[in-house]
Amino acid sequence: MTTLLELDDVARHFPVRDALGRARGAVRAVDGVSLSVAKGSVLAIVGESGCGKSTLGRLALRLIEPDRGAVRFMGEDLRGLSPRALRARRRDMQLIFQDPFASLDPRMTVEDAIAEPLKLHYVVPRGAERTRVHQLLERVGLRPEAARRWPHEFSGGQRQRIAIARALASGPKLVIGDEPVSALDVSVQAQVVNLLQDLIRELGLTFVLISHDLGVVRHIADRVAVMYLGRIVEEGPAAAVFAAPRHPYTRALLAAVPGTGAKAAPIEGDPPSPIAPPPGCRFHTRCPFAEAVCREQAPDLTGADHRAACHLQDRLPPPPVLRERVAGGERLRRLQAHFGAPAGVPDRVGAAPQGAAP
Amino acid sequence: MSTTTLPAALDRGESPTRRAIRRFLRHRLAVFGLVVIVLFVLAAACAPLLAPADPLATSWSAIRKAPSAAHWFGTDENGRDVLSRVLYGARASLLAGVVSVLVALLIGVPVGLLAGLAGGWTDTVISRVADAMLSVPFLILAIALAAFLGPALENAMLAIAITASPVFVRLTRGMAMEAKATDWVEAARALGNPPWRLGLLHVLPNIVPPLLVQATLSIAEAIIAEASLSFLGLGQQPPAPSWGSMLNSAQRFLTQAPWLAIFPGLAIFLVVLAFNLVGDGLRDALDPRSDRR
Repeated sequence: MTTLLELDDVARHFPVRDALGRARGAVRAVDGVSLSVAKGSVLAIVGESGCGKSTLGRLALRLIEPDRGAVRFMGEDLRGLSPRALRARRRDMQLIFQDPFASLDPRMTVEDAIAEPLKLHYVVPRGAERTRVHQLLERVGLRPEAARRWPHEFSGGQRQRIAIARALASGPKLVIGDEPVSALDVSVQAQVVNLLQDLIRELGLTFVLISHDLGVVRHIADRVAVMYLGRIVEEGPAAAVFAAPRHPYTRALLAAVPGTGAKAAPIEGDPPSPIAPPPGCRFHTRCPFAEAVCREQAPDLTGADHRAACHLQDRLPPPPVLRERVAGGERLRRLQAHFGAPAGVPDRVGAAPQGAAP
Repeated sequence: MSTTTLPAALDRGESPTRRAIRRFLRHRLAVFGLVVIVLFVLAAACAPLLAPADPLATSWSAIRKAPSAAHWFGTDENGRDVLSRVLYGARASLLAGVVSVLVALLIGVPVGLLAGLAGGWTDTVISRVADAMLSVPFLILAIALAAFLGPALENAMLAIAITASPVFVRLTRGMAMEAKATDWVEAARALGNPPWRLGLLHVLPNIVPPLLVQATLSIAEAIIAEASLSFLGLGQQPPAPSWGSMLNSAQRFLTQAPWLAIFPGLAIFLVVLAFNLVGDGLRDALDPRSDRR
């Protein structure tokens, strides 16, 4: 399989300044992350708030400049590109934001918003933008008449569909979804997840899903990377990570999903400050299994296809058996069965004629 | 499917501008202000048609006459018709107010956008210069500049424009920085927009409302500044009429001929009040936080 996106030891620190503007240390939002995303696959990046997942997504698109490390997209280091070349590259890589109430310009009609990438990258001949906008709207389950309206006239789910249409307009190869459904109502979440899944399959998209919702992740990810305090602690095929988590943090995350019947001790407290991360393994302050070595030596990611950064990964007690591996996945499936169309049928019943290709 | 149903009552979307206009028209005082401004603009534009006499024509037989049927607003110390002079004076005042604020916007908005979007040293230098200018009282700086440029209406307007511009620099800079941090500007960047498009197509349209409010209030201030400069002899030069210079010559006859001061003073008061009312109305109509329709 060819690699579409590759991150090599990428780091980004944000300086923390005092009232006089003197540097007082740095938030190590992303601290040495290496990942590769195969063409046509779905990678989920999971972790709790503040672990650096959103920063990582923006580093991958070079919306934020990394302090060190390389970001290779289609074999080309994005850091070596001129601003102009980078803008041209953006045609192939797009971002879907978490909050659809903030990501659409309030002073642009839906048509202007979706047509913008078409015009910027000359995707369609001049004058043909409107037809393409209508096709895109139909593809995401909205009526073409929506084009003439303003973002404030739509609900959250509809706005997110508009944002998805905008992200797909330029025909990107890579799409990064930064918590694309977590701001939506639960019933709408299922519909939008269905839509994303259909689009990924239909367009052969490579998708990076940034999420804290393990139910959604379980549902659409091929691979999962678990982040904790700016580092990847476990990475592997989704099925393997969910069935046999090798890092105590991953176990705790899975056990924390409600309804699993898990008796595993939940992790306590808040994550340590990313300004002064603990020495050794960053998780040792909350890890129930921590030993002396964990306090002194930072573990590397080890393993072949399923990697984990834990000194004790081969000596941990077997993970507790969860009743439903991830209850969120089950709940989502039920909701999809209830609200959405069955898999394979485009998610726009009664909304648009068939056959409108984006 | 539920997500495909759109608000049924709206066939065609209502643009943010249209909504603001509708909300502005609900604001009675603001509409009153707008009417007053329109009347003054019409009076200034049609002064040659409306004025009963030549504003410069002196008459030794009618010196400092009180208001009468022949001279509604009375006559001044040179026997000139005060009504005609107030009408022609509206040209100087409104022109000075509007033109100087337009020039101030032309200077302040691009500079503020540059400071807010570029950041770093550019921002530091621009902000310090703006701060330095703001640390001098408005009128003092305007007087100094006007005196430096020489007494003429054009120079007074330029002096007022330069003095008023740092307010727009600061306002634009702050709002541009705020807009730069929003998701939709980041989204626009992620789509591949070059910096000039970000600034002009995504940031600028979203900061127009507060700028419009500030501009309206600044026009009121500029009209007072022009009157003050003319009062001090730095603006409109005699014998051409201006409300400020009329007040200047009226002060010597305040007890004998109060109408010389009352009518130009009333005109300044009304126009300034009207612009302030319109500014307040615009602020309410454009405020995104007030969601009443």
